Amino acid sequence: MTLSSSADNPHVNTVLGPVPPDELGVVAIHETLLSVVPGAEHAFDLAVDRAQVFESVAAKLRDFREQGGGTVVDSSGMFHGRDVPLYEALSRSTGVHVVASTGMGPEGMLGGYFLTPQTNPPTPWPAERFADLFALELTAGMVVPRVERRGTAGLVATAATRSGMTATDESLFRGAAHAAVSTGTPLSIRYGNDAVSDLEVACTAGLPAGRVVVGGLDRADAVASAAALEVARRGAYVGVDHVGAQDDVHVADAERVALVIQLVEAGFGNRVLLSSSATGVAVGHPGNDVPFAAVLATFVPLLRAHGLGDDDVRQILVDNPAGLLSVRPPDRA
Amino acid sequence: MSRVNTVLGPVAAEELGVVAVHEHIGYGMPGSELDSRWWKTPEERYEETVPKLRRFHEHGRPYGGGTFVDATGICNGRDVDYYRSLSTKTGVHIVACTGFVGGDTALPFFSRASVEYLADQFVHEITVGIGGTGARAGVIKVGVSRGGRMTDLDKRIYRAAARAALSTGVPVLTHLAIDAENAIAIFREEALPLDRVLFGHADDGVNAAKTRDTWIAEQGGRVGFDTFGYETELDDPPFWARPRKERLEHFLRFVERHPGSALASADANCSPLGWPGVKGHTVNYIFEDLMPDLRAAGVDEATITRLFVDDPADFLSIHD
Ligand SMILES: [Zn+2]
Repeated sequence: MTLSSSADNPHVNTVLGPVPPDELGVVAIHETLLSVVPGAEHAFDLAVDRAQVFESVAAKLRDFREQGGGTVVDSSGMFHGRDVPLYEALSRSTGVHVVASTGMGPEGMLGGYFLTPQTNPPTPWPAERFADLFALELTAGMVVPRVERRGTAGLVATAATRSGMTATDESLFRGAAHAAVSTGTPLSIRYGNDAVSDLEVACTAGLPAGRVVVGGLDRADAVASAAALEVARRGAYVGVDHVGAQDDVHVADAERVALVIQLVEAGFGNRVLLSSSATGVAVGHPGNDVPFAAVLATFVPLLRAHGLGDDDVRQILVDNPAGLLSVRPPDRA
Repeated sequence: MSRVNTVLGPVAAEELGVVAVHEHIGYGMPGSELDSRWWKTPEERYEETVPKLRRFHEHGRPYGGGTFVDATGICNGRDVDYYRSLSTKTGVHIVACTGFVGGDTALPFFSRASVEYLADQFVHEITVGIGGTGARAGVIKVGVSRGGRMTDLDKRIYRAAARAALSTGVPVLTHLAIDAENAIAIFREEALPLDRVLFGHADDGVNAAKTRDTWIAEQGGRVGFDTFGYETELDDPPFWARPRKERLEHFLRFVERHPGSALASADANCSPLGWPGVKGHTVNYIFEDLMPDLRAAGVDEATITRLFVDDPADFLSIHD
């Protein structure tokens, strides 16, 4: 397949090249294959055995495939352990499509190059520079730092600081949105303390809300403020993406089911996306050791028990992510 | 027995020869590796770097050697395997550091870490090795973040460095000597003798006026005049540049009043990693510009040898 023919046809950019959207199958829209806290690669007491990492992640991807999964989206951007050659080999070996992401955030996860550059004064990067950095990963390829560029990112991912969007987070959001608009790539955001207003920031660069997924809407604070309904009303995708999580931050699966049913009954079944935010392997932090197949294995049966039919399930697991991930060249948007 | 950790193993301090005490093979801010505008091929890197080191080695022959202290922090592109190959092929002793250029160059994993963890990281890199290279760090780098005052993270790093310096015997190099009251308070609390600390960049154009160099020397600290060559007379001076004559006179004044407290270097990049660098500025400024300037100002050979050979050897020696 040549690049020009893929650009002419609807496609999704995976680490092994463009794939027709209807070949993705069931998509886990927000996961991480390898999750490394920036800097942990230098930690004296954390030895990373690359073969072991491969084996662990491959086992989880095979399990996902056996349970009916087709595509895993690695949504943690370009600076949290993303390893493009590893992802290529994992995809080849397991047969699971892997979509990797560009982007960074929140501010606290950035390197000093972006926050205190060697200028006087050390002004943090503006949106335009982030836009250029991310857009290159969508046109020239994803970086293997200081070595080469490989593949094409299929998603731009960024996040705001939990206590509230900072000025640098806002530059990240605007830059990420600009890169998404200029390349027809979708945008994934993790909100800070206000999902709806963060979505508004993402949409100020001319990006339609329908090209954005707002993640973390199964956080307890989002559920309390009914943020998911408002996000859906504005046309963005609703990421209910901590399926299986048992922590202080997110609601439990029972409430998560209620949230999804509520969205479907309100007519927003075409906006819902499900995932687990699982980490295949985590380095430098505890990670989230939930199977990539958690949605298929445990959550979908709960949804069915609450009356969701095959069409609804298929829409949420297959059609919605295919629609979001399809690259829309700007001239044909 | 006096010994210094180089990337190829310990050497006797007597072997070091002329020491460039604060230099960089290549420096980039953390994250600059993601921006391909700065990328160069390994062929280009060696081509830019090897001739500078070979020249440094040749200049150093009359003094018996040549030692390049790389002050590039853990997250700034430090690349110890590369340093080992450069050292083997050029004959220049290279000393690598552990530590951070400043809190604002410590990536999230380290910026969240406790003083105890940071100290363990430094001690491990000094006594066991850096990553899988087997090479041990010979100095600890610390520094003041942009903004002029030590941040809480800067202070945690200084405290961890003091503990690691005390337990391993290697010295500490600072990036910037501003806000020295806070730095010295930490070193005192940790009981690290101040002659084990080189308070660096006391001579740069931005910070010289704000640096209490005399006071630092009076407290027993060493003072780094280690941005020699970043001059306003250059075609593309960086923002920290300073008039050549002004820096030289500052240095001469200081050395006269505080013999034994000053060390000098050029803080040059052989091949910068995440910034354009400054064209034509190399570690060889020490031999080609600074030493001639000192001689022209009447500094005798014994003083030059003391400044570039004896005092740095004492500073770098592991003090058990
Ligand atoms: Zn330096």
